[in-house]
Amino acid sequence: MSEPLVTTPLRERVHDALGDRFLHEALDIATTKFIGLRREAFGDFPEGERLRDRARAIKEATLQHLDEHLERLIENIERLGGHVHFATTADEARDIILDIARRTGARMAVKSKSMATEEIHLNDALAAAGVTPVETDLGEYIIQLAHERPSHIIAPAIHKTKGQVAELFARELKREVAADPEVLTRIARAELRQKFLDADLGITGANFAVAETGTVVLVTNEGNGRMVTSLPRVHVAVMGVEKVIPSMTDLMVFLSVLAKSATGQKLSVYTTLVQGPRRPGELEGPEEFHLVLLDNGRIKQIAGTLREALYCLRCGACLNVCPVYRQIGGHAYGYTYPGPIGILLTAMLNGPRSVKELSHASSLCGACADACPVRIDIPRMLIELRKEVDERRIAPWAERVTFKGLGWLLRRPALYRLGAPIARLLQRPFLRGGRIRSLPLFFGDWTRTRDLPPVAHRTFQERWADLERETS
Amino acid sequence: MTTRAEFMGRVRGEMAKTRGLFPAAPAERPARPRERLEVLRRELSERWPQTLERFRTEFERVAGVFHRVASAAEVADTIARIGRERGATSVVTWPPAELGVDLSSRLATAGMSVEAMPRAVPADVERRRLRETIARADLGVTGADLAIAETGTLVLRAAAGRPRSTSLLPPCHVAVFDRTVLLESLEQVGLALEAWHEGPRSENEGAVINFITGPSRTADIELTLTRGVHGPKEVHAIFVDGGLPVTGRA
Repeated sequence: MSEPLVTTPLRERVHDALGDRFLHEALDIATTKFIGLRREAFGDFPEGERLRDRARAIKEATLQHLDEHLERLIENIERLGGHVHFATTADEARDIILDIARRTGARMAVKSKSMATEEIHLNDALAAAGVTPVETDLGEYIIQLAHERPSHIIAPAIHKTKGQVAELFARELKREVAADPEVLTRIARAELRQKFLDADLGITGANFAVAETGTVVLVTNEGNGRMVTSLPRVHVAVMGVEKVIPSMTDLMVFLSVLAKSATGQKLSVYTTLVQGPRRPGELEGPEEFHLVLLDNGRIKQIAGTLREALYCLRCGACLNVCPVYRQIGGHAYGYTYPGPIGILLTAMLNGPRSVKELSHASSLCGACADACPVRIDIPRMLIELRKEVDERRIAPWAERVTFKGLGWLLRRPALYRLGAPIARLLQRPFLRGGRIRSLPLFFGDWTRTRDLPPVAHRTFQERWADLERETS
Repeated sequence: MTTRAEFMGRVRGEMAKTRGLFPAAPAERPARPRERLEVLRRELSERWPQTLERFRTEFERVAGVFHRVASAAEVADTIARIGRERGATSVVTWPPAELGVDLSSRLATAGMSVEAMPRAVPADVERRRLRETIARADLGVTGADLAIAETGTLVLRAAAGRPRSTSLLPPCHVAVFDRTVLLESLEQVGLALEAWHEGPRSENEGAVINFITGPSRTADIELTLTRGVHGPKEVHAIFVDGGLPVTGRA
């Protein structure tokens, strides 16, 4: 288990999120904008669909020979003078990084945005070990100052207003700050510039790693990825094993679809290809390069039900189109990875128990699978997870008994037909104005936020039978 | 601590359990990429004006500022003008042999100090001084190893005399290039990357390749687009019609 199980029930988290009017508005604006940008980007790009198929095939092909690609990546990085570490758990990944920090006498670490380091809760561990972690992506920096967690994979602070950011900065810098994104960005630039120059350790994730050349690839818009890999004397990259790809030719296929899916850009501003530590002829760059290969539940899924989730590029496109995410935002999910893919990744990292409720936080409408640049069939895996949650008796017994009963009934048409008049009788005390507005016991969860249509006065089957009698 | 053998053993163990997977293949890599790249460059040299026009459109779309001059002799004038308009007093640049242009005298007359990056790595004290100089510079001047028309992207390979931060720390980045570095598509860039990694590496090569698509940007506060958050606020590209006297880049 890499993350503590969330203690407040999903229902309460969702209730809080739904009550937050600003959050609602921010989510609506952000996700609508991202959807439009993505649509435009692919609209201008006729070869996009073919490239998505290619990207998907490359991910699958890589998994089929994952051991070879990882071995090649490791060999190449070591040949270039870099070091590769192996972390089975989040704890182990943290220990490896703390060890590097201690050995190199690091006091401050600058970080570029990385979901992998969020996943292993690195910042608290660094701080506890006396190394100041500094998030340098503007959104992450804001979140760090506010002691919060990201609410979107690529726009971590979309839930904050410029006024809230100005207040935060004013508190940190102890002076008046105008609530203007331009001004706020300038302040962050100045604050962080000095930190880039002073830091001993640069910590990044990795969007890809090219096995054939030993190259770690970072994609950013702000340029912090470049800073972090150029200025500190040690660079540590933390990467899930599934991020390895075979070749540079493959890399270009992914770069062609990644930014279009994430932000609607043809390419993000900076794509940085890092091949080990500074070379002898170079003026700058880290003396040491470390790659931490992270398992944390991934390897088990090579042969597991969530295998396809290992294709994920972390672009965030499935969040933007998800009707559930758009209503509740990232925090309500309760774990590092929000949105439809986040439910799968949460199950991967923390086991099926962690998604007992979350696996139902989807309407299975399929918008996520349509938006995914590598066409991950998220709804299929959500159904698998629901099944697993049921079979392993993780779901509450009442739910299991109800659905088992329903399933039994649905497979017996004669009994089912008999059920209609019984249900009409039973529902009578709950009917208010032709709708069922509240139900007793745990059934009340269903009617808390919506009405249930009653069993019809005459069901379709009954009417059909009548019709057949009349026409014959 | 998990060892490599344990870790990879677990990967293989899980792989062995997988059955009946659909056939899938990675992208087909070009054989002899260096040769193929040369052939491609010859083909492209016949239609470079269209490629340049597409580059210009895309580069401007990502807020790049495009300039075009007839010959290498005019590059320093253009840079002097860019500097003057921004009140620049200090410029860092690739050395003349890497850039193909000597800026020092022209920019000095315009009242700007010019520091060319050394091709040999100096002692630590000097390295620290250079880092300070780059960090304080108003303008960073570089060449480009590729210019990608499809996306308006400049590709820069770090190397001796071509430090990573010349295009990163100054608030304004100016890249000078000619028709020999133009490519049409990201797919073609794949070929160039394969070619660059074919065979042994040269002594002078750096460990980083950067793709730069316009100025540094963020939309992290209320999705308001803001430029120059960490990297340059402005990126200029100067195209030299008559070509630059630099050969054998890739």
